[in-house]
Amino acid sequence: MNLDKLQINACIRSGWQSVDLGFLMARAWFRPLYFAGLLAMLPLSAVLLLVFWKSPFWALAIIWWLKPFWERLPLFIASRKLFDEEAGAWSSFRSFPLKDILPWLLWRRFSVQRAFDNPVTVLEDLRGGQRRQRLRVLHGKYSDVALGNQFVCFCFELLVCFGIALMIDFFTPESLGLEVYDKFDDLTLLGEWMFTLSGFMAMSLTMPFHCMAGFALYLNRRIELEAWDIEISFRSLANRKRASESQAAGLLASLMLAVIVCLAVPGSADAAIDHDRDSAAGLIEEVLQSEDFGQERTLRKWRFKDWSEEVDEEAFPEWLIEFLEWWEENVDWSTDFSGTAFLLKIVLVILFLGLVTYLLIRYRGPLSRLGSGRPREKAPAVLFGLDVTPQSLPPDVPAQVMRLWDEGGYREALSLLYRASLSRLIDKYEIAFRASHTEAECAALVKARGIESLSDYFWQLTAVWRQLAYGHRVPAGEIIQDLCQGWTTELSDESK
Amino acid sequence: MLDTRYRVEIPGGINLDAQVVGPIPRFFAFAIDLAFRGVIVFVLSMASIPFGAFGLGGGFFLIFLFAIEWLYPVLFEVFWRGQTPGKKALGISVINDDLTPVTLGTSLVRNLLRTVDFLPLFYLAGLITMLSNRRFQRLGDLAAGTLVISVGESNRPAPQRDLVPLAPSTPLLRTEQSSIIDFLQRSQQLSEPRQRELASILEGITHEKDDNGVLQLQRLGAWFLGLR
Repeated sequence: MNLDKLQINACIRSGWQSVDLGFLMARAWFRPLYFAGLLAMLPLSAVLLLVFWKSPFWALAIIWWLKPFWERLPLFIASRKLFDEEAGAWSSFRSFPLKDILPWLLWRRFSVQRAFDNPVTVLEDLRGGQRRQRLRVLHGKYSDVALGNQFVCFCFELLVCFGIALMIDFFTPESLGLEVYDKFDDLTLLGEWMFTLSGFMAMSLTMPFHCMAGFALYLNRRIELEAWDIEISFRSLANRKRASESQAAGLLASLMLAVIVCLAVPGSADAAIDHDRDSAAGLIEEVLQSEDFGQERTLRKWRFKDWSEEVDEEAFPEWLIEFLEWWEENVDWSTDFSGTAFLLKIVLVILFLGLVTYLLIRYRGPLSRLGSGRPREKAPAVLFGLDVTPQSLPPDVPAQVMRLWDEGGYREALSLLYRASLSRLIDKYEIAFRASHTEAECAALVKARGIESLSDYFWQLTAVWRQLAYGHRVPAGEIIQDLCQGWTTELSDESK
Repeated sequence: MLDTRYRVEIPGGINLDAQVVGPIPRFFAFAIDLAFRGVIVFVLSMASIPFGAFGLGGGFFLIFLFAIEWLYPVLFEVFWRGQTPGKKALGISVINDDLTPVTLGTSLVRNLLRTVDFLPLFYLAGLITMLSNRRFQRLGDLAAGTLVISVGESNRPAPQRDLVPLAPSTPLLRTEQSSIIDFLQRSQQLSEPRQRELASILEGITHEKDDNGVLQLQRLGAWFLGLR
């Protein structure tokens, strides 16, 4: 048993999983297993069929009863295949002894876990008490899976048998006049032969699967009890260690050699390393050039959506065609223009109504606000921490600003001017500032209003205010005077 | 190497493993579902009798029968993590072949094609297609791109608490570490001579013989399990 050559992946599986593995094994080795089974079955079956040629069901029953015997050869071959050994069907057939066959054909024929127990007899060659003891160890928790295997494979066998029979029946031309059933609905001899042959085929076809499922279950139990997977892994670990040790010894020797060489010609070793680095850089560059490492593409063009597919060929509606036909029949184009006028009138009315509807829908937002008491969003009372309500302002803003400025309250003076401006902008020009806006955004909103002088003024004011508020740079007094004058012309009540 | 494992490599080089499930467990899962469906149909037929077997009750019964026949697996698979009651009992589940959960589309396709798998009688076509590929996909599975995988979890015994963990003296690969952990966790099932035999393979690493080698490996296993 050479576990290195094990052809299945040794690992702990559940019972059902190992049965599935058995089906995979049967699939992989189907040809040798099938022909081995057939080879075992054919000679004796042929004799039996000849003897019982008038009642072939008897022959089939005996063949079926002898199943434990047929199953040995495929199992034997599978056990060789498992470790990648070639076993020719004929050579194994000759070397294959009839171990313990009598109990298997008598009372053990009723065993419900035959495929699972078979390897103990066929491969381990245990008998009597020894066998019983071994089976007690092996069965463990898997006897129900073994029973399930037996049952399902029996069902599959029946299924395949009737499937083949049905196919033969379907595909036999009626013109041949072959009668499977007689007039009392009993099987004719031909029918019996048909079922016998399909039964024989079903038996030989399902046998590899049934055997291998049981064999895999047996293997799984042995892997579990003997830890095959651990042994395989431990062996490869030991081999790796041994290899790396010998490699390390080799490395040590070469290192010593290298030291000697370096001592002899120091320059050359350095040069070798540098050379390595250079060529490696070149190599990396080369690798990165290859297409596998992605390409860059820059696309800079707009393109239209592909509308062409959506255009309906029959965009001309049916009702319009009907209407025009009606029109042509009922109105005389050449003499009577009143009809045409009527048509145009209808078209114009429809267009007008459509336009009104469109406008109503388009401007439904502003329109709905018309009727309600709140024409727009409530103006904020505080912007950037400045109170912008009109009530908070002194009656004469520029005078107050200049007074504060002269007293040295630069910050207070300019903030008063700025918030007065904001307040006026909200009040007089109804600019929709929001509490979340910044100074520059407010200025941009003012600019969007389109009054150039006002916007210029407010930009200037904002710039000065930002310089002072955030940059702590006090502007010259003339600038403040200019700004106050500007306020009077642009924002005071007297301004236009 | 023959294995029931199905592996999908996702971006990032991570492997997702699943165990495919063959005809025998699926046979039992189907049988359980068939019985379950039979009970539902029986109860429905009883319930429909008071409403007239050939009238309203009968009509509704036929509609229910149709729905159960066609939608029973679909509904369970989509809304119950790929499992019908039978699959749940066997610990198996339907999943897309990229190991994402089964969706309405894939589940519908795989279950509508049941009729084809049923041909010529009792799923013979399904059985043959299942055995024709190594992932055990029947025709419906092949069409929908689905798999039946095993979802049962294995429970390993907890290691003994009185082991003193031991740090390895040489670096070990992950697979090697896990096999040493396996050795620790499965030593209950292994006979003592077998344990000594296995430990003797690694004498070059443990530098101990016989029972001491076994103990040394178990202590290493405890270390790899994180009992420090």
